[in-house]
Formats: sequence, C-alpha cells, structure tokens
Amino acid sequence: MTSTLPAVTTPKVPAQRQPAPETRPAGRTSPPTRLRSSRPDLLLCGALLVAILVVQGWNIADYPTLSDDEGTYLAQAWAVQEGRGLAHYTYWYDHPPLGWIQIALLTWIPAALSPDSMTVGTMRAAMLVISAVSAVLVYMLGRRLSLPRWAAGLGMVLFGLSPLSVVLQREIFLDNLAVMWTLLAFALAASPSRHLWHHFGAGIAAATAVLTKETMLFVLPAVFVTMWRHSHRDTRKFALTGAVTACALIGLSYPLFALLKGELFPGSGHVSLWDGIKYQMTRPGSGFILDQGSGSYGVLQSWLYYDRVLILGGLAGGLLLLVTWRWSVTARALAGPSCAVVILALVAMRPSGYLPAMYVIQALPFLALVLAGGTASVAHAVLRRWRSGAEKRYVTGGRYALAAVLAIAACAYVVPRWYDGARTAVTADANAPYQAASKWLATEVADPNDTRVLVDDALWLDLVQAGYEPGLGAIWFYKADLDPAVTKTMPRGWKDLDYVVASPTVRRDAVDLPNVKAAMEHSTPVAVFGTGEDRIEIRQIQTASGGVR
Amino acid sequence: MGIWGDLLLTSVFIAVVSLALFWMAAFTLWWQMHAWRTPEVLASTRFSRPDGGEHVSFSLLLPARHEQAVLDHTIQRLLESTHTDFEIIVIVGHDDPETTEVAENAAARDPRVRVVVDTHEKKNKPKAMNTALPHCRGDVVGVFDAEDQVHPELLAHVDHAFRTTKADVVQGGVQLINFHSSWYSLRNCLEYFFWFRSRLHLHAQKGFIPLGGNTVFVRTDVLREADGWDPNCLAEDCDLGVRLSSVGKKVVVAYDSDMVTKEETPGSLMSLLKQRTRWNQGFLQVYRKMDWKQLPTFGQRLLARYTLMTPFMQAFTGLIIPLNIAIAVFLDVSVTVAFITFLPAVTALVTFVFEVVGLHDFGKQYGLRVRFVHYLKLIVGGPFYQVLLAGAAVRAVWREQRGQNDWELTSHVGAHLTHAETTRDLREDVPA
Repeated sequence: MTSTLPAVTTPKVPAQRQPAPETRPAGRTSPPTRLRSSRPDLLLCGALLVAILVVQGWNIADYPTLSDDEGTYLAQAWAVQEGRGLAHYTYWYDHPPLGWIQIALLTWIPAALSPDSMTVGTMRAAMLVISAVSAVLVYMLGRRLSLPRWAAGLGMVLFGLSPLSVVLQREIFLDNLAVMWTLLAFALAASPSRHLWHHFGAGIAAATAVLTKETMLFVLPAVFVTMWRHSHRDTRKFALTGAVTACALIGLSYPLFALLKGELFPGSGHVSLWDGIKYQMTRPGSGFILDQGSGSYGVLQSWLYYDRVLILGGLAGGLLLLVTWRWSVTARALAGPSCAVVILALVAMRPSGYLPAMYVIQALPFLALVLAGGTASVAHAVLRRWRSGAEKRYVTGGRYALAAVLAIAACAYVVPRWYDGARTAVTADANAPYQAASKWLATEVADPNDTRVLVDDALWLDLVQAGYEPGLGAIWFYKADLDPAVTKTMPRGWKDLDYVVASPTVRRDAVDLPNVKAAMEHSTPVAVFGTGEDRIEIRQIQTASGGVR
Repeated sequence: MGIWGDLLLTSVFIAVVSLALFWMAAFTLWWQMHAWRTPEVLASTRFSRPDGGEHVSFSLLLPARHEQAVLDHTIQRLLESTHTDFEIIVIVGHDDPETTEVAENAAARDPRVRVVVDTHEKKNKPKAMNTALPHCRGDVVGVFDAEDQVHPELLAHVDHAFRTTKADVVQGGVQLINFHSSWYSLRNCLEYFFWFRSRLHLHAQKGFIPLGGNTVFVRTDVLREADGWDPNCLAEDCDLGVRLSSVGKKVVVAYDSDMVTKEETPGSLMSLLKQRTRWNQGFLQVYRKMDWKQLPTFGQRLLARYTLMTPFMQAFTGLIIPLNIAIAVFLDVSVTVAFITFLPAVTALVTFVFEVVGLHDFGKQYGLRVRFVHYLKLIVGGPFYQVLLAGAAVRAVWREQRGQNDWELTSHVGAHLTHAETTRDLREDVPA
C-alpha cells in the first residue's frame, strides 16, 4: 500500500503554511459542502421547484402568444433532427447553432414518439426542463454564495415565479438555454471544493452559454470575478488560466467550424461568419432606454408591465450591495451576480444599441439573486447588527417587529401583483387564432402537398406537420424576398403562391418585403380568426382574372 | 464505393486515432495537474514539520565516479545536516584514484564518512550501490548523487515522515534548477517540476510508483529483502520503485521547494538525448520484467502499463498531431471528422498553457526571475523538444532491439554550483 503524505483532514497537517486557509469571508451561514445530503435544503428546493413547475407549466401552450423567434429556433431544431443541416434554409451565421442543436436534442424523444408534437405550442413543454434546471441552479448558487437558506429560496422564487419570468421562460428562446449554462458556470466557479477541474468545467459551461446565445459574452467577467473570489491563493493561477483557456478553446470552435466549411470570410456565392457578425453588430439601434418614444423605452415598459418587483427591486438590490460593499459580508459574497447586473444594466443603457425584448432573460437570475441578497442584507441589519448579548428585550422585540412589518409590507405589495400575473399565465388563451388557423390549413386546403403558403415562423412547423412541403411549400414569408433559393422558384412573383397567412408579424414586416406586400395586395381573406390587431387572416391569392391560381 | 469508400475508411481511421490520442493526452494532463487539483491536495504534498524527535538512523550512499571536483563539496554539505545519526558511504571505483583520494581525505577528517571500493570490471550505479549495501549500518538507506546540493534539514524531515506515516520508502523532491541555461534546459527543468511537484504524488496515492534516482530513502531491511538494485537495468531506480510498490510496500512522496535536492540539466543536447534514451530503454526493460503484473488491481496495472509506455506514446503523439490537422484542413473529410481531428491539438494547447503557468509558479517557488523571453522559449521550444523526445524514444527502441544495454554517460557542467570549475562525466538518474 502506498500513499502520499496524510491529507489535511488528518491531524498530521503540514504546518509550514496554513494547509488551505479559507479565503472566503467568514459568513454568518456556512453552506453545507454537500447540498445533496442536506435534507432541509432538498426539501425547500424541491417544494419551490414543484410550485415553479406548476405555475410555468400550466397552460404553457396557450400563453403567451406564440413568438416568431420560437418558431424560428424550433424549426431549425426540426431541421437538425431531420438531418437537413443546421437550418432548413441556408444557415447564415445569424446565431451560433449550438442553441437549437440543444433544442433538437431536448425534443428528440417526444418528436420521435409523436411527430405531430413538433410544433411551437406543444414543444414549449420541453422548456420546463430548462426552467427546472435553472431554478435549482439559482438555489444552489445562492447557497454556494453563502446566502442563508431562506434567501436562496427567495432567489429561486423570484427567478421562477416572477410574472416576467413565467412569460419569458415558457417560450422557446435560446436565452433560456444560455441562462442555464451561465448558471452552471457560476455554480462551478463557486464550487466549495475549489477543484481545478470544476473551474475548468466552469470555463466550458461559460463558453457553451456564449455559443448558445452570444450576448452571454457580457456576463463572462462576472463568472471570472466569482471564480477569483472562490479560488484559493495557492491554486488560483492554475484554476483561472485553466478556466479561461477552456472557455477560449471551446469558443474558438465556432470560427473553426466556419473555417472548415470555408465560410469564415465573405466571398461570392456563400454566406460567412464575418457577414453574420456584421449583420448583428450593425442592426439599427432602438434608441436610449430612458428616452420616451424610443424602441428601447417601449421594450423596458413591456418588461415593467409584467413585473416591476424583480427589475426595479433587483437594480436597487444591486445598488445596495455595491454601496455596502465595505461592511456587508453578503455584498462581497454576491460580487459575481452584482457584477453581472451592473454590466447588463450598462449595456442596456447604450444610447444607440439594439435592445431585443429577450435581453432581460439573461439578467433574471442575477436580478433575483441580488434582490434576495439585498433582502438578506437588510434582514441582517435589522435583526443582528449592533446587537449585543446585553441588549434590552424590548429592543430585540422592536427588531423583530420591524422585520415583520417590512416583510408584511413587501408581501402586500408583491403578492397581489404576482397572483394576477400567475392567474393570467395559467388561464389566458392567447393562441386560439393560431390554433384555429393551423387547423383550417390542415383540413380545408384540398392538396397541401401541392400548395404554396407564405407563413410566419411560429406557424411554419404546423404546416409541415399538415403535409405542406417544408421550405418551398410552406415558406417563411420573408424568405420569399430575401433567400435567392426561394425567389428563383417564384419567377412570376406573387402569382406563384396560393395563400398568405397574415399574422401580426407578417402584416408588420410586409411593408419592407415587395413580394410579400404584393401577395397581400393580390389576395382576399378566406378565413379570419380573432379580431383587431391580433387577428390572423388566411388570404388566398387572386390572379388578375379574378380566379385562383 | 471506390473513392467514397476510401474516404470513409480514412475518416473513420482518423477519428479513431484522434479520439485515442485525445484521451491519452487528457489523462496525462489530468495526472500532471494532480497536485493543484484542490488547495488541500497541494497542502498534502509537502513535508510535515519535524517535531524534533529522532528515531531513524541513516546510511547515505554517495556513488562517485570521476567526480573529484564536486564530491568534497557535496560531502561537506551533507555533514552539515541537522540530523545527528547518519553515516555517509562514498562508493568509488578501483580504477578511479582521483575520486578515491578525495573520498579518503573526507573519511580521515570525519568519522561519519566511510569509503567503499567497487571492484566490478564493468561499472554502473546499481552495481556500486549493491556493493555498499552490506556495509550499511543505518535503519534507512538514502541515495544521493555526487553533485547534489542537499538541504541540511532534509534528513530530519525524512525521519519525521518515516515515523508518522509508517512508510517503507520516502521519496524527496529533486529539481533541475538551471532553467536559464538553454531552451531545452528550460523544458527539462519544467518536466522535473511537474513530475516531482505533482505527478509522483498521484503515483504514490495509486500505489504504483517509479522512484527517482536520488533523494530516495528505503528501510534497510526492505531493501535487503528485495536484493537491492537490479544491476542489469538501465533505470534501476524506476525498477526498484516498481518492484517495491508491486509487493505492497508503502511509498510516501514529499515535495518542498526549500527542501528539494537541486541538480542541473545535461550540458548538451546530445547528452540530454543519451540520458533520455537510457531512461526510455530502462522503462522498456522494467515493462518487460513484468514485476508490475503483481499489482493487485486492474487500474494499477493499467496505470503501470501506461506510465512505462508513456515515452513512446508521447513520441507518437508529437508526430500525429500535425499530420492530423493537415488531413483535416486539406482532405475533404466531413466537418465532424475534421472537428475530432482537432481534439488532440486542444489538449496539447491546454497542456501548453498549464506549462506556462507552471513556469511562473516554478519561478515563484524558487525565487527565480522568469523573464518574458523564457516564456517565449518555452512555447517556441515545445515542438522541438517534442522532436527530441520522439528521437530518444525511437533510439531507445532501436538499442533495446539490438541488445545494446551499456550505459551512455551524460556530461554535466555544474551550472547549478556557483563555484564548480570543471566539466565532468557523470550520469543522471532521475526518471522524468
């Protein structure tokens, strides 16, 4: 039997240096090294997880309204599953493909069991897996960042049950997957064992997050900060360089992929990574976020419409932690999430940047953790600060009374609003027009296989399942103007089409798309579902003679 | 089929080779980084501080051959040890009057020094040490080389380690220190750093360990029971470690930057090549002796097999990686296969980065100033060093095939000794 010198757990510790001195500040709660074997943690986390899954899962297909982007990603995942490459139209480096490759894997088994289920509404259920993993990771990260059990639970609730989260996390967005990977990177970076390969893994997870949704690049410095704080002086340089190397190497696989396909740089007759990045970087800005009337302001309002607590409270919590940095143990422990909140807030404040509605998704876990941490900080200040053993009983009583008043006030503000949000989420039926349109196209059109329809991305897979030809029969409407592979099959323009499914998206974008616009003008509605702005019209193309094609 | 079939076959072949190389390199990296896995592991690789008690007596073997220039200095330094119960046995050849004279003078000055004369016709280190073994009076036999700089407190630490761990063998650290001498000495120093600082601890933990050639301490009865060193093996130190750990003896490794035995790299590229050839050939011999088959678990036997074959796989990897990338870029293989061919290069890159960090840590540990140019040399020298290793591996196989088992001597210039004057011929004994 051979062995190295006794490990530090035995009394015979090498004493020249502290064996492994604790670099983390001595918090008031030391998290268990193995959460898995802590029964109270498991019970709390499990109970909250059930609540989150019920609220997020109930009625998931019918609310919120199907989004075009969900359709895009799921359709591309379908293309991956079917072995048609990375997209059913030419993949043009709009986003790294890892996101929908993951969606393809995630939906593989249900799609194999029941091919009809590969539509946006049904497959939203798969997102519950992502939500569940992310929510558990938020709790775990909270505990690893020395939050008390109740505060970690609060973070998980804020992350999973905020009406804003419920709406956004239900949708098939790449950002939700990227958030999961980022949280994994944070959790590994804050690993209590400080293992070199955990930090290496954090680098890999962070790179995966970026390759899932490139905007996660902004959060990488916060991962680094967390890792720095949680690594040990003696092994830090190996841990951090290992993580950065892992992240860079995995990240470089994307340009390498483009290089191997000969599509790294622009050239005639092929798409390129360069052009893809240029497109993303030069997207027209949506204005300054606080400038009323700008697009960004509208986006901000749409977030605040669903939930003010998480956004404003999270920002306030972040501010509080920054200000109390010097005195508060919690503030220092939450340096990583605070850093993420600050960076994401600053990026959103760019005066000329493009601010998509999904942007807030990547901030949700950090807002939640920072708000929970801020709450823990306040609770500590109220209950424990300057408290001595000799404190008079009425003062202690006053502390608890104050804490109770604050808690009740917070609940009184939050609970009714969140209750409304949750009730809408589990009862509203926002997608009835889509479902009706889908049904009509599946049943009322005589020969789907030989029919050409312009349709938005959200409904596209429904048509494919109904027997329309993917790509040239069921056509993503803007491809009729933008993809040469599609336009060359339409030598007579709109006359080569049969139907246009005019959803709000199609009506909005048709202005800039000549073929789509012409098709709209030369068609009449044969079926209308819903009313007002949100209505969906199925319009049949009329040739000049008045008949159909 | 035709071209299609050929391409498919090529693709599959490349993918399999790449994946195998990837896993090999990944495991090697995993083991190389053993000491830095967690702060606790790092702390456990050090000597524990001695408590002042002394219970073990030492017989320190000091084989010396044509080393009159440095021998006296080494003996003097050993005599400065804080430990009170030890003897130094200098082993000289009957055909080497100069070294014998220096040894006899030292023995006349201090009763703790004794001289043993080796009369073998063909001389080598294991024979010399076996000659001295019957003369050892101490509880523990320690081995040093004639040019070693030994820390005065080392024996006290080793004594403590024997007592507290009930070990049969204690291996201390050996460190090449003259990283500034040349581009290859830089890499050579770093090899030692990763081996003694990190990898050897993993071997001790797993119960299979090729020992180093010096700063190694074995209980005298255990050593006699094992019939000493194998006089016919070119890596007798490695062989001893394999034999002892295979029969379940407990080996403990400890590394402290201020307690290591400091050595120098071979003085020329050719002598480094010869030294490495000898080790590789020695590893081959140890492999073929099959003592490691007695190891109780499959995992240990696998580790033994892998460790002893490492030099040859390393050589193979060095040749395959560039070839693989060339295939990926120039042949019309699928993107997936092309990706797989890059995997070994990825691990090689990660290893490279950790080497750079290791060099930084090495400088910090030894208070040496590592300049930017050294990092540059480390990176640029990497592929060339790989070629050297590959050359040594091929040479070792060649010599073993032709039955050439003689010792090729390595020359040293004493770069680690501030006052060493002459170029000497001696040999090098630490596997890396």
